[in-house]
Amino acid sequence: MGQGENDQPDQPDQPDVSDALRVMVVDDHPMWREGVARDLTEDGMRVVATAADGREALARFPAARPQVLVLDLQIPEPRGVEVTARVVALDPSVRVLILSASGEQQDVLDAVKAGATGYLVKSASRAELLEAVRRVALGDTVFTPGLAGLVLGEYRRLSDTPTTAGDDTPRLTDRETEVLRLVAKGLSYKQIAERLVLSHRTVQNHVQNTLRKLQLHNRVQLVRYAIEQGLDDEPLG
Amino acid sequence: MVGTPGVAREGEPGPAARADEHGPVQATLLRALGVLRFVVLANALVLYALRSGDYAHPRLGWVVVAVLAGWTVVAVWAYGRRSWRRAPLLVADLAVGLGAIALTPYVKGEGFSATLPGFWVMGVVLAWAVVWRAPGGLAAAAAVSVTDVSIRDDFTQANYGNIFLLVLGGAVVGFLSILLQQTASQRDRAERAAAAAGERQRLARVVHDGVLQVLALVQRRGPELGPEGAELGRLAGEQEVRLRGLVQTGSSELVAPLGERDLARLLAELQAAHVQVVVPGTPAVLPAETAGEVVSAVESCLSNVRHHVGRDAPAWVLLEELPDAWVVTVRDEGPGIPEGRLEESAAQGRLGVHQSVVGRLRDLGGEATVRSAPGEGTEWELRVPRHPGRREPA
Repeated sequence: MGQGENDQPDQPDQPDVSDALRVMVVDDHPMWREGVARDLTEDGMRVVATAADGREALARFPAARPQVLVLDLQIPEPRGVEVTARVVALDPSVRVLILSASGEQQDVLDAVKAGATGYLVKSASRAELLEAVRRVALGDTVFTPGLAGLVLGEYRRLSDTPTTAGDDTPRLTDRETEVLRLVAKGLSYKQIAERLVLSHRTVQNHVQNTLRKLQLHNRVQLVRYAIEQGLDDEPLG
Repeated sequence: MVGTPGVAREGEPGPAARADEHGPVQATLLRALGVLRFVVLANALVLYALRSGDYAHPRLGWVVVAVLAGWTVVAVWAYGRRSWRRAPLLVADLAVGLGAIALTPYVKGEGFSATLPGFWVMGVVLAWAVVWRAPGGLAAAAAVSVTDVSIRDDFTQANYGNIFLLVLGGAVVGFLSILLQQTASQRDRAERAAAAAGERQRLARVVHDGVLQVLALVQRRGPELGPEGAELGRLAGEQEVRLRGLVQTGSSELVAPLGERDLARLLAELQAAHVQVVVPGTPAVLPAETAGEVVSAVESCLSNVRHHVGRDAPAWVLLEELPDAWVVTVRDEGPGIPEGRLEESAAQGRLGVHQSVVGRLRDLGGEATVRSAPGEGTEWELRVPRHPGRREPA
């Protein structure tokens, strides 16, 4: 997976982030956790913390203050989706890269809606992982075709659901739909830019917007839910 | 309780158990019937004891009543064993009842009103109804009625009422018997399916936590160990994809109604090392036939990629749900198909892809279009209407 979007050309303004990039790795499988941590360290990144489950992850996160959280979704409670929501609430600048072995689709979608900006399957190569961590750290979204398909399906589902109060259902523009479809068909951003005669950055922005709208919608829904439940006097994070 | 000795054997089906025969339900019905049989036996005994002085041959009458009592005990015990609920027992049961009725005129003499067994025959009829369903209940009720009528000189309103109730009871209990057994069988099947699905999910979790992780690790670490490691990694990757597909199937099988399939899941099974399948997170439920045809068309496209682009050429499959159609896109990055090539080969009688993709989709009321440009690969778009109205002749 993921052959499609990792042939991005080097960005001219890309700083040398690998020197100081602070990464935290969360995975309940020790062999895997150490393997990922070693790959990252060998590449010059700093693994500031590791954790084997959601509880550990949340306990160590505030002190470790990583820039990127590499997170397995299937960890002992609290699960990856909840960990994503909580760390993003604690530190909105953190970037969460989901690393999932079996691609549970709903979990991946929920994690992305909770604020994760990257998704890779575990069978991705070492180079793909390093590239993904760097790009996520830069604020890019790391999309696989699989994630694009899920996001497309989610927008479709949202547009099918009749809205009750006020029409704040996020919708894709025609251009965003077009770009997302091409991502889902396995085209790289570069190929998409060529086909649609757009700049690479524009393609990237369109893709990012699709996620941002979902995440925003998710937050609005959560706030609305909290108010309805009479929890609005409690701080949300 | 009466009839308990047979309970332990209920689990094993008899040698000729019918598909909708449900042992435990039958046993419960027959146990309840066993209680009833002792009640009607007591009734017959008491009535006979009170009036035996008036009868022509009271001694023979006592023998008949004793046989009825003995047989009741034997029958209740025998009906408790599933393997014994066959023709010999049921016929013998009926024969005892009919014999007792037939001896009534001789024992009681002229002008009797009630037969010797009286209500006791109800036990026989209901046993037939439980084991042999409504037809059995009707047949036994008819045999008892005919015998009863044949020994009487005059036929009263009360006799008719008894016969009518007996026949009705036989039919109704027979019908309820089959209904109860079928319901219980369905419940058993549902429970087994749920247990199997639960076990599968448990296995999936175990496999995920261990095997899939290790396979993914081998795949990732392999290439660093040189060419042989790379080969190992490749093999591990292929197995990972297959195993993942295997453990993820199952739960949705139970959800889709009969005759329908989740196209998303079927397509996901085509995922392989070089084929990436992208589906929405929600099931795409289609009639099984339509889903099968779409999958076959996609397989044709993929096989075309292997033949014309390369065995290891990457391909992408995307399933989209539009308001009015399902759209499946199959894309490769090969040299592309020269314009007019497909029509040309079709015109030459070589149907190949054209037939298997375009023809299939047209038969489904949809369409298949191909987009290809030199250097941009080939992109098949298969469109299936979600509410197939008219079907254009091929």
